[in-house]
Amino acid sequence: MIELRGLEKTFPSQNGDAPTIALAGVDLKIETDEFLCILGPSGCGKTTILKLIAGLIAPDAGTITIDGVAVNAPGPDRAVVFQNFALLPWANVVTNIAFGLELRGMAKTAREAIALDLIRAVGLQGFEHHYPRQLSGGMQQRVGLARALAVNPKILLMDEPFAAVDAQTRRMLQEDLLQLAHTTRKTIIFVTHDMDEAVRLGDRVVLMSPRPGQIREAIAVAIPRPRPVDLDQNPRAIELKTYLWQQLRAMQN
Amino acid sequence: MATITRDAKLISRHPPASRAVPFREKISAFVRTTRATSLALLGGILAWEIAGHVLQFSFLPPFSAALNAMWRMTLSGEIPRNIFASLTALFIGYALAVCVGVPLGLVMGRYRKVDYALDSYLTILLASPSILFVPILFSIFGTSRLTQITLVFLYAFIIITVNARSGIKTVDSSHVEMARSFGASERQIFSRILLPGALPMIMAGLRLGMGRGVRAMINGEMLIVLIGMGALLRQYGSRFDAASVYGLLLVVIGIALLCTSTIQWIEQRVTRWTM
Repeated sequence: MIELRGLEKTFPSQNGDAPTIALAGVDLKIETDEFLCILGPSGCGKTTILKLIAGLIAPDAGTITIDGVAVNAPGPDRAVVFQNFALLPWANVVTNIAFGLELRGMAKTAREAIALDLIRAVGLQGFEHHYPRQLSGGMQQRVGLARALAVNPKILLMDEPFAAVDAQTRRMLQEDLLQLAHTTRKTIIFVTHDMDEAVRLGDRVVLMSPRPGQIREAIAVAIPRPRPVDLDQNPRAIELKTYLWQQLRAMQN
Repeated sequence: MATITRDAKLISRHPPASRAVPFREKISAFVRTTRATSLALLGGILAWEIAGHVLQFSFLPPFSAALNAMWRMTLSGEIPRNIFASLTALFIGYALAVCVGVPLGLVMGRYRKVDYALDSYLTILLASPSILFVPILFSIFGTSRLTQITLVFLYAFIIITVNARSGIKTVDSSHVEMARSFGASERQIFSRILLPGALPMIMAGLRLGMGRGVRAMINGEMLIVLIGMGALLRQYGSRFDAASVYGLLLVVIGIALLCTSTIQWIEQRVTRWTM
C-alpha cells in the first residue's frame, strides 16, 4: 500500500513571479495492485504527485510511504513511463528497453534476453534494431512501457503516457495496458487529463482541482473487469463521465 | 496486435539506416552530387588560366604557372620540409586544444558555478581576434615553434570548449530525469546520458576548431615564425614571386580541406543516429 500524508510542494518562481503552489495538503491511500487514475486539469499538480512517489523530487512537507517504508529516492520497486517517451535517440529498441537493467549493472546477454522477451510482449518483433526516430509515436511508447516493465517493478507510474499519440493508437495502447494489468499484478498510478481514459482504465479515479493542487474526491469506477469493449454505451460509464465533465468544467470557471 | 501490423506496414517503407548500399550505387550517387561542384571548379580554373594569359598582370599568373611553381618547390624540398614543420605545430597545438577544451567544456556545462566563474574569460577570448596574442607570445617564446603551437592552441580550444559546454547544456532534461528514475548515479548520468547527448556538438566543435587551428598556423608563420608554409609564403611574397605564392596557396587550401574533412568524416561516423 502506498500512503501519502499531508503532501505539500511549492516550486520557486523562475522569473520573479509568485512561487507556484503545486500541492497543498494531499492525503491519499493506494491499495496494492490497484489501478488508480489521477484526473485533473493542467496545473493541478498531478504530475507532481507522480514525481514525488517516483522519488524524483522531495516534498516540502508530508510523508510518502510504500508498505510502511518512507520514500526519499527512486527505487527498484518503481518505474516511470513518461509522456514524451524519453527514449535515448542514439540507442536502438533493445538497448533502450534494457537501459534500466544496464544502469543496475546486469550483464549484457541477460538484460538483452529480457528485452527481447518484452519486445514480443508489447508486439515490437522485427523492430529490435530500429532507432526511436524510425518508430511511430505509439511504437515509441511501447518501447517506453517495455523499458519500465524490464526492471520488474511492483509499482508502475505513468505520466499521461498516451497523450502524445493519435486517438486510434491511444485506444489500442489502452486495451493492451488493460490486458497487461490483468496478467501481471502491479500497482499502477496513471495520470491523465482525459475523463474517458480514466473511466476506461481505473479501479478508482482521483479528481484533483488546481491552484493550489488538492484532491477533490476519489470515486470508485465500479465497472467489473474485464471491461466491456462497448464501454461508451455502459450506463455507469456514461454517468461517471458526465459527472467528471461537470466537475472539470466547473473548475475551469 | 492489430495496431502493430498496421504500423509495421507504414514503417517498412523506411529501411533502417544500417542497410548496405552497393558500392556501384554509392559511386554513381557521389558523381551525381559532385557533378555541379566539379564543373564549377573546373570553370573557375579555366577562367583563371585564360585571364592569366590574356591580362598579363604581374599579380595574376596563370593557373599552370602556379602549378609549375608548386612542382618546383616540391622537388626542391621546400614544400615537404615546411609542410612537415607546419603540420607538427598544428597537430601538437590541436591535440592540446582537444585535451583541454573538451574536458573544460564538459565541466562548465555540468557545473553552473564553474560556468559562472569562467564564462567571462571565455567570452573575452571568443570575442577578441586571437592575433592580438601574437606580440605577447613572441615576447615569451620568441620565434620558436612554441609560439606557433600556443597560437594554434588558443585559436582552437575556445570553440572546442564553447561547443562542448553547449552540448552538455542542450541535452534533453527528460533523459536525465528518466535515468534518475531508474536509480542512475551521477557518474552513470554523465557517461550514459550527458556525454552521448553532447557528442554531436562536441564533434562540431572539433571540426570548427580544426579550421581555426589551420588559420592560426598560417597567421603565426606569416607574422613571426621562420619556418612553415606561412613563412614560405611570406618569403616568396616579399620577392613578388606571384606564381609561387599562388602555388603555396593551393597547397595550404588543400591541407585545410583535408584536415577539416577528416574530422567531418569521423564526425559522421560517430553521430550517425542524428541523421
